[in-house]
Amino acid sequence: MSIQTSIRRTCLALALLLPASAALAHHGWSWTDDGFFELEGVVAAIYLGNPHATMDVDVEGETWRVELAPPRQTERSGFTEESAAVGDEVKAIGNRSRDETEPRMKAVRIIVHDMTYDIYPNRVPTN
Amino acid sequence: MERLRAVNALKGSYYAYPLVNALHILAIGTLVGAVLLMDLRILGVVRSVAREPLLHLLREAVALIFPVAVVTGLALFSIRAQEYATNPAFIAKMALLVLAGVNFWAFQRFAGSESDADAYSTAARLSAALSIVLWVSVLVAGRFIGFI
Repeated sequence: MSIQTSIRRTCLALALLLPASAALAHHGWSWTDDGFFELEGVVAAIYLGNPHATMDVDVEGETWRVELAPPRQTERSGFTEESAAVGDEVKAIGNRSRDETEPRMKAVRIIVHDMTYDIYPNRVPTN
Repeated sequence: MERLRAVNALKGSYYAYPLVNALHILAIGTLVGAVLLMDLRILGVVRSVAREPLLHLLREAVALIFPVAVVTGLALFSIRAQEYATNPAFIAKMALLVLAGVNFWAFQRFAGSESDADAYSTAARLSAALSIVLWVSVLVAGRFIGFI
């Protein structure tokens, strides 16, 4: 195969694949609902590490998985290991899973101890 | 204890985690690429290169890179072992890896000691075709771990 043919085929493959991969490239958001969602509960577990931070929040006996951002971006919002502890009241604002039976959301903003942490500042609702 | 410290460092690292991740991709890319080329050559799709030297080279490449894929994979797994162990895509990937291993063992039995001129038996060729399906599935299942 000549180099030219190889390049032409690569371009063709990219043209075919790009629309399909656009949905996956969001990595975290393609599975979420568009409308904003608020969750209030008690912190059951916190994980601040790679590949991204998570928080388990107990809401009336049901444990929700609240996904945050990769550790660096999460810490950039001011949220660190000291920001919240198991047992703390927490409010998470963001987008929930499109699957309504799944207790999972991705938070753009976390409010705990009257402190607000904007994990994804560019996605925070403007109201 | 030493290992636990390394796991914690990887968990909170800014650079090490993406680098280990990249190394895992490099290893998997080399591994799956080499396996697919071997399978295609065994199936007779790629005929422009003599079979035995090609298989010899690719087998050596696989032997070299497989441990890298395993070690980097274990490192990535270790930082949230419980999460991954219950992840359906991860479980599927491990099951497919086992199947790929069994298939490789079966291939070696079917193939026996082929000489350059011999064509592979139907069983060996079926095993090579199955190997393509299994390794691509391993790759796809692996990619889905982060999206499930």
